[in-house]
Amino acid sequence: MELLDLSFFTSAIRMISPILLAALGGALCARVGIFNVGLEGLILAGAFSAIVGNYFSGSVLVAVLVGALGSVLVSLLFGLAAIRFKANPIVAGIAINFLVLGLTTFGLRAIFDVKGAFYDKNMEGLPKVDIPVIEGIPVVGKLLSGHSPLVYVAFLAAILLYIFFYRTVTGFRVLAVGKNEAAARSLGLKVTFLQYGAIVACGILCGLAGAQLSLGQVTMFTEGMTAGRGFIALVAMMLGQSHPIGIVGSSLLFGLMDAMSIRLQGLSMPTQFTAMLPYIITIIAMFFLKDRGADSQLSGQQSSR
Amino acid sequence: MNLQRKLQQLLSSLVQPLTAVLIGLLTGAVAISLVGASVLETYKVMWDGAFGNFYFVTATLARATPIIFIGLGLAIAFRAGVFNMGAEGQMVLGAVSAALAALYVPGPGIIKILSALAAGFLAGGLWSLLAGWMETRFKVQLLISTLLLNYVAVLFAGYLVSEPFQDKSGSAALAQTPMIDQMAWLPKLFQGMSVHMGFVIAIVLAIILFIILRFTSLGYEVRMLGYNPFFAEYGGINKIKVLLFSMFFSGGIAGLAGTVEVLGSQYRYVEGSLTVPGYAWTGLMAALLANSNPIGTAVAAILLAALQTGAMGMERNTEVPLEIASVIQGVLILFVTAKITINWWKVKKKAGDIHGAA
Amino acid sequence: MTYVLEMKEMTKKYGEFLANDRISIHLKKGEVLAIVGENGAGKTTLMRMLYGLEQPTSGEIILGGKNVKFSGPLDAIENGIGMVHQHFMLFSDFSVTENIVIGHEPKRNGFFNRKAAAEKVKELSEQYKINVNPLKKAGDCSIGEQQRIEILKVLYQGADIIILDEPTAVLTPIEVEELLKTIQFLADQGKSIILITHKLPEVMKVADQITVLRNGKVTGNVLKQNTDVEQLATMMVGRELQKLTDRIQVNGEPLLMVDNLSIGGKDEKPILDQLSLTVHRGEIVGIAGVSGNGQSELIQAISGLRKIDRGSVRLGETTLTGKSVATRRNAGLAHIPEDRYLWGAAKEATVEETGLMGYYRKKMFNQSSFILLSPFRKLVRGWIERFEIKTPSLDGKSGNLSGGNLQKLIVARELGFETDFLIAAEPTRGVDIGAMEYIHEAIIEKRNNGDGILLVSSELSEILALSDRIAVMYEGKIVDILDRKEATEERLSVLMAGGNENESSKKTTTTA
Repeated sequence: MELLDLSFFTSAIRMISPILLAALGGALCARVGIFNVGLEGLILAGAFSAIVGNYFSGSVLVAVLVGALGSVLVSLLFGLAAIRFKANPIVAGIAINFLVLGLTTFGLRAIFDVKGAFYDKNMEGLPKVDIPVIEGIPVVGKLLSGHSPLVYVAFLAAILLYIFFYRTVTGFRVLAVGKNEAAARSLGLKVTFLQYGAIVACGILCGLAGAQLSLGQVTMFTEGMTAGRGFIALVAMMLGQSHPIGIVGSSLLFGLMDAMSIRLQGLSMPTQFTAMLPYIITIIAMFFLKDRGADSQLSGQQSSR
Repeated sequence: MNLQRKLQQLLSSLVQPLTAVLIGLLTGAVAISLVGASVLETYKVMWDGAFGNFYFVTATLARATPIIFIGLGLAIAFRAGVFNMGAEGQMVLGAVSAALAALYVPGPGIIKILSALAAGFLAGGLWSLLAGWMETRFKVQLLISTLLLNYVAVLFAGYLVSEPFQDKSGSAALAQTPMIDQMAWLPKLFQGMSVHMGFVIAIVLAIILFIILRFTSLGYEVRMLGYNPFFAEYGGINKIKVLLFSMFFSGGIAGLAGTVEVLGSQYRYVEGSLTVPGYAWTGLMAALLANSNPIGTAVAAILLAALQTGAMGMERNTEVPLEIASVIQGVLILFVTAKITINWWKVKKKAGDIHGAA
Repeated sequence: MTYVLEMKEMTKKYGEFLANDRISIHLKKGEVLAIVGENGAGKTTLMRMLYGLEQPTSGEIILGGKNVKFSGPLDAIENGIGMVHQHFMLFSDFSVTENIVIGHEPKRNGFFNRKAAAEKVKELSEQYKINVNPLKKAGDCSIGEQQRIEILKVLYQGADIIILDEPTAVLTPIEVEELLKTIQFLADQGKSIILITHKLPEVMKVADQITVLRNGKVTGNVLKQNTDVEQLATMMVGRELQKLTDRIQVNGEPLLMVDNLSIGGKDEKPILDQLSLTVHRGEIVGIAGVSGNGQSELIQAISGLRKIDRGSVRLGETTLTGKSVATRRNAGLAHIPEDRYLWGAAKEATVEETGLMGYYRKKMFNQSSFILLSPFRKLVRGWIERFEIKTPSLDGKSGNLSGGNLQKLIVARELGFETDFLIAAEPTRGVDIGAMEYIHEAIIEKRNNGDGILLVSSELSEILALSDRIAVMYEGKIVDILDRKEATEERLSVLMAGGNENESSKKTTTTA
C-alpha cells in the first residue's frame, strides 16, 4: 500500500469537514468578539442529537436537523452565560464542554440504556453524493465526488461566510462589532443581537460538524467521540485568522494530518504515536499563529485601556 | 467590628457557590424526575452512598484525594492568572513516572516512595513547564497547548504500559505496569478502608499552599500577577519567572495526584484508571468552585467526590443512572463561572463610571 | 426666540456621588455653546445623558419644543444629535468611507454598496469643506484626520446638533486652528454646536455662549462678549488661580542620564530617536508634547518596562540599561505611572495589597519571605492620613476607590520609597483640585529635598507650574529644552507641533 495514494486524499477531504464546519462557527463567534472554547462541546452535542434524531425518526435529514438544533440549544446556553451574565467566555466555554459530556453520557443511559457507545445497525448514515459530470473525470472525480453531503456543505459554508463578511451590510457590521465593540455600541449597532446571531449560527455549524462525525463514516455515537476536534478546530480558526478562506487552508492541513494518522496505523509504528500526530502538528502550528483570537495572559489586558 | 466584617466577607463569598450548588441540584432533580424516580428519595440514597456510614465516608475521602491535589495545582495556576487546562496529562505522566520509579529504584520502601513522589512531581511539573515555556517564549497560547498536550501525554503513557513496561505476567495482556512492591505502598489510614496516607498529604499541602499564597512574598507575587500582570511588572515582579514557577508547581502537584493514586490505591499504573473517572476535570471544578482558595478547593473537592460516590451508591440502589452526577457538575460549573465574572464585571463597571465622570 | 435644545434641571447620581446637580443649558440654531469646567466637573456626564449613554436621575431634555427621552445613542442619532467622542470611536482596519457610513450603509440588493458610499462621503466632504481621503485606512490617518472622519460621520448621520467632547486635547496647535475654523463654518451652515472643553482661549475664539460647571453645578452662564478668560477661570476653579512663586535654583549633580536612547527605526519610523536627557538633583524636568510622540515609551524605557534598541540609561553611578524593573527600583527609582488602572494598581487587590507593591521586598516588612503586615499597615495608615485618602478600610478592593483616591494612594506609595529619582507621569490626571494641590506640593517638596523628578504631563499648565526645565518631545525626539524663565505656552505650542525653535523666537519677537 502506498502512503500517499488517491484514497489518502479522499479520506483527508472527508476528515476536513467537521473541523472546517466547527472552525467557521468559531470564526463567527470570534468576529463578534467572543472566543468560543466550547466548540468541542457543541460538536459533541450535535453528534449525539443527530443520533437521537436518526434513531427516532429513521430519516437522515431529520437527524441532521435535530443535530443542528441540539447544538444550537447548547450554544444559546453558552451565549446566555457569556453575553447576558457576562461570564468569562473561556470559563463558560470550558463549562459547556463539561456539561455536554455529562449530558450525553447521561442521555446514553437515559435514552438508549447503554454505557460508552450506542450503535444500531438499522440506523442509516449520511448518503454519498455522486456529482454527475465530475464523477466521470479520472482522478478529480474520485477526489471530489462521492462524499457525504455535509462535506460539500462545509466548503459551501466557507464561501457563503466569505460573501457574508465582505459583501453584505450585516456581515460588515459583524466585523465591526469584533473590531471595536465600544464603537459599534456607540453607533447604535445592535451588538447583542449580532452576537446572539453569531452564536446561533455557530451552533448550527457545530451541529453539522457533529452530525458528520456520528453519521458520516460509521453510524454510531461514542462517549467523548470528538476527541479534541473542537480544540483542533479552534486552532484552525486562529491559524486561518478567522478568515473563511484562511480557515479552509488550515482545516485542509489538519484534515491531512488526521488522514495521515489513520494511514500510518497500517505501518509498524505503535498506534499511540500515530494517534498523537494531529495534536502535535496542531501545537506546532500554534507557533506560527499571528491572530491569537483571545489574548494570552502576558500580552492581554492591554485592550482594557 | 473588624471580625464582623470578615465574617460578612466570608459569608458573601459563600453565597454564590452555594447558589450554583443549588441550581446544580435543581437540574439534577429535573433529570431524576425525567427518568421517573422520586427526587427526594434519590438524593437521600445519594447522601447515604457518600456519607451513610464510616466505610462510605472513607471511600469518599479516598476518591477526593487525587481531586484535591489536582484542584490545588490548578488553584496555583489560576491565582497566577494562567488557564492551565493540562492537569490530566500532567497527572497521567506523574502517575506513570511514579510507578516506574517505585518499580525500578532499588532500596528500602521509604526510598522507593520518596523517589516515586519526586518522579511524579517532576514529570508533571516539567510537562506543565513545557506549556509555560512555550507561552512565555513563543506566545503559544497556554489554554490550548495544555489541552492538546493532554492527548499527547495520555497516549504516550498508554504506549509505555502497552509496549516497553507492560506487565506480561498476567494471563490477559492488559495495558498496565507490573505491581509495585508492597513496601512502597502508601499505608491505609484505617484497616480495610480505602482512604490512604495520600489524603493526609493532600490536606497538609492545602494548608501549606494557603499560607504561602496568603502570607509570603512569593504568594503575593503570584496573586498580583494574576490580578494584573502589568501592575506586577511595573512593581518589579519578574512575571516570566513567576509564571513558569506557578506552572511548574501546578503541574507538579497534578503529577502528585497521579503518584498517590498509584502508591496508595492502584499499586501500579493502569491505563485509563485516572482518566476515566475524570479526576482532572473534577479537580478543575473544585478550584473554580472555591475561587482558587486552597482550603476551599479541598472542601469543594470532597463535596464533588461525595457527589460521585453518592451517585455510585444511587446506581446500586435505584434505577437512576450514575451519569446524573456529570450533569449536576456541568450545570454547577456553568453557574459558578457566571458568578466569578459578574463580581469582576461590577467592579470594572464601577471603575469605568469613575473614569467617565472624570 | 425658540431653542433647538434645552436641558432642564438635569441631575445624575452615582450612588451617593452627585455627578450632575440640576444643570440647565439651552442652545439656539447656528449657535456654538461652550461647556467649560475642570476634570470631574460633570461635563462628560451631562453629554452622555444627552447622547442617551446614561439615563438622568431626574430632569428633562426638550428638543425642538418636544420633550424627549433617549434610551440609547441610536435614539439620539435619529433625533439629529451627533457626538464626536474624546476617544475616537473608529475602526482602524476599516476605510475612511466605511467608518463614516457604518450604521447607515448604502445598499444594493442587501449587499453593501461601497462605491456609492465613497461617492457620498466625497460629496459630504466637499459640502462642508472637511478634507479626507475616502479610501485610506482609518488607522493610517493622522489624529487630525481621524477627528475629521468623526465629524463627517455625525454629519452623514444627519446631525443638527453636534457635541464635541474635548476635541482639542489631542491636536497640535495648527490642527486646533483648523478645527475651530470648521466649527465656525458648521455653525454658519445652521448646525448647532456644543463644545466641551477646559481650554479657555479656544472658548473665547469660537463660542457664542458659555456655561461653566464646577463640582456638578452650573456656576455661570455668559455670552462671550460679556466675559474674559480671567472671569471664566474664576468661575471654573472657584477662586483666583494662584500665581506661582519663583524658586531658588539648585545646581545639583546629574542624576538621571539618558544617552542616545532609540527604540525601533530600522525599517519604520523610530518611536524614540537617539534621545538624550539629563535630570539633576533638586530639579524637576517636565516633558511637554502632544500625546503619542514617544513620552509613554520614554517612561517605560527608563523604568525598565520596555526593551530599548540602542543607547543607555544611568542613574547616578548605576547603569540601568538592560536591567530588570526590580533592579532599577532598588537603585533608587520610583514611578507614578501614567495609567493608574493599567500599571498602577490591581482593581481586585485590596487597598493594602496595592500599597504593598515593592515594599514587600524591603527587609523592614519581610522576614524570611513572610510579609510582616502590621508594620506595613501602620505605614499605609500614615499615607491615608497625610493624603486624606478616602477608603472604608484597608481590606476594601482598590477598584472601589474613586479615581482620585486611588491616584493619591499610588502617589503616596511611590513617594514613600524616598528614592533619589521619581518619574511622575500624569500625576494628577482625573483628580479633583484639592488632590491636585496635595500632589503638586508633595512633588515640589521632594524636589526641594534634593531629589530629581521627571514629570510627564499632557496638561501644559501642570508642566509650566512645576518644572525647572521643560523638554519638548516631538516624534520621538527632544526638539528643545527651555528654561523655566523662557518657557511660555506659546513657544511650547509651536515646538510641540514640530515647529522650529528659531521660527518660534522670531514669532515671539514680532509679537512682542
